[in-house]
Amino acid sequence: MTQFNPAAWRAFADAIGSEWVLTDDDDRQAYSDHYAQDETAHAPSGAVAPASAEEVQAIIRIANQYSVPLWPVSRGKNFGYGGAAPVMAGSVVLDMTRMKKIEVDEENGTVLVEPGVGFFDLYDHLQQNNIPLWLSVPGNSWGSVAGNALDRGVGYTSYGDHAAQICGLEVVLPDGDLVRTGMGALEGSPSWNLHHHGFGPSWDGMFCQSNFGVVTKLGLWLMPEPEAVAGYDYEFDKIDDLGWAIDTIMPLRRSGLIKQSPSIGNWLRSAAVMTRREDWTDDKGPLDESVITAIRNRFNIGWWSVQVRFYGEEEVVEASMKVLDRAFDGKPLLNKIPTHWKRGDEPEGTPMTGVPVSFPLANANWHGGRGGHVGYSPVLPPSGDLAMDQFRRTYALYEKYGMDYHASFAMGERSLTNVNQLLYNKDDADMMGRVDGMFRELVADAKVQGYGEYRTHIDYMDLVSDTFDFNDNALRRLNERVKDALDPKGILAPGKSGIWPKGERA
Amino acid sequence: MIRLATIPLIVLLAACSDNPQADNAGGSSEIENPFRGVMQDRTSASADEALYVEKCSMCHRQMGMGTVLLGRRVDPAQAMLENREALTAEYIITAARQGIGNMPRISTAEVSDEQMNRIAAYLVATGGGVAE
Repeated sequence: MTQFNPAAWRAFADAIGSEWVLTDDDDRQAYSDHYAQDETAHAPSGAVAPASAEEVQAIIRIANQYSVPLWPVSRGKNFGYGGAAPVMAGSVVLDMTRMKKIEVDEENGTVLVEPGVGFFDLYDHLQQNNIPLWLSVPGNSWGSVAGNALDRGVGYTSYGDHAAQICGLEVVLPDGDLVRTGMGALEGSPSWNLHHHGFGPSWDGMFCQSNFGVVTKLGLWLMPEPEAVAGYDYEFDKIDDLGWAIDTIMPLRRSGLIKQSPSIGNWLRSAAVMTRREDWTDDKGPLDESVITAIRNRFNIGWWSVQVRFYGEEEVVEASMKVLDRAFDGKPLLNKIPTHWKRGDEPEGTPMTGVPVSFPLANANWHGGRGGHVGYSPVLPPSGDLAMDQFRRTYALYEKYGMDYHASFAMGERSLTNVNQLLYNKDDADMMGRVDGMFRELVADAKVQGYGEYRTHIDYMDLVSDTFDFNDNALRRLNERVKDALDPKGILAPGKSGIWPKGERA
Repeated sequence: MIRLATIPLIVLLAACSDNPQADNAGGSSEIENPFRGVMQDRTSASADEALYVEKCSMCHRQMGMGTVLLGRRVDPAQAMLENREALTAEYIITAARQGIGNMPRISTAEVSDEQMNRIAAYLVATGGGVAE
């Protein structure tokens, strides 16, 4: 646990008001990792909650003066990756949940949000003002729009690569300076959130999953409400269907016909949201085929399921559906369920059309008790054979550690992200004793194949950073050089993404 | 052992339905299909209800995480907090600040004490609970 001069608390209170300096036990615990078995491992020493970029600047300057490590969070709902908790215990959480300004450019389909704006907030704003723009939401829409994009979160629509929709940032640097990226570097620029590049180097990517600055405004592109949406929910009966399903969809993804990232997931992805394990069996051991079959029959789902959607003008959507039908013609599907929506219909009402949700978080209750999960998500080339190989190796590790397989393969334009959630009951000591070892073996297994994680939990940032080892971890050396140049006192998010300041490195 | 009550399977073609809630109707806490009809009512008729919608309903109205989980533990008809009878303001505030089950703790930065009191009073009133 880090120590710093307690006079810093008084300075923070003078800068932003004592009401927004949170230091009692309840406050500290509110920023712990809700999914952690041991919440003290990453316990912060308190939190400060600014209301503006100017107050963020003041906090940063005080942190430099008193050498206070800060852990910025937008809304602190990054469940499965540490929630609001810092990597380094004793850090002060810089909670920007009160910063909730929303500026929509309806004509151009963009929004400028502050970090405290959640997906539900932005959805409500668009609905209440009859603005025909759609969100792309993640499974946990309780969180921050900006925070999710900066952590490279994903959604269900063709705008689902959220980091790719970022266009222009306002950032407080670790010395308190305020910078705007891209065209925003021009005073009064009308095209800050319209054009991805400015003049000279582009910096937006530098502030994703990093500790090089505190983003106080983020420009994001939104989808103009399409004339039509159509697609299928496909169900696949056999485990081995995964390979050909990916090889059927990927050419359409590569060609640009399919613009969203279809995610093919196993039966537990649905079952864990809709039910608990104890609803199906009292046996704590591996789920046998009869249980899996009962779950699948109950919900009429395959071993794997995937949702494909097209968005746009009706004629284009209908033509795209014909191409998709042709691609799957003669393939051994268990089932396919069509969906069609046209402008003027009642809302389709799901995340596939940008409706925010929180129910996917119910999967933390799969094992009953106080549940949680940790994400393991390696990136691999978009090949059915490689996906099947990844599945077999990973499934064997789930069996070795006695855990229930919960995974999906999200199809990007040129890659697959194999998103696994290790579901657990944090009050089950035996189970919790297996999770860490399993996670570490999964990361090592992926590394043998040359695969790395796209995102990870605060417990594993060093572990994952270690796997990016080209030229003796040259990327880490670069990150450290940038860190030292921008943040010589190392006050901003020490340890984030495995980037530690001088004096804290292993 | 299969413990689930036999519930007729809903035909999963209701994307064509006029009612976006249709597939998951019958229980704002029951999920038949995560990719059909999971939108919640975000409307409000008072300032306190609007505050509840802004701060709580993402989890505690239709298809919210809290509603889904409470539907497993209490009478599903009372899974939505606004329908819950006999809640006290003290219990609501303690649950929100200390966390309960899968619900994380809510900080005073996210919901101030003044806002929390208004939300608790709103829930007590809607559920016919007991004011402290």
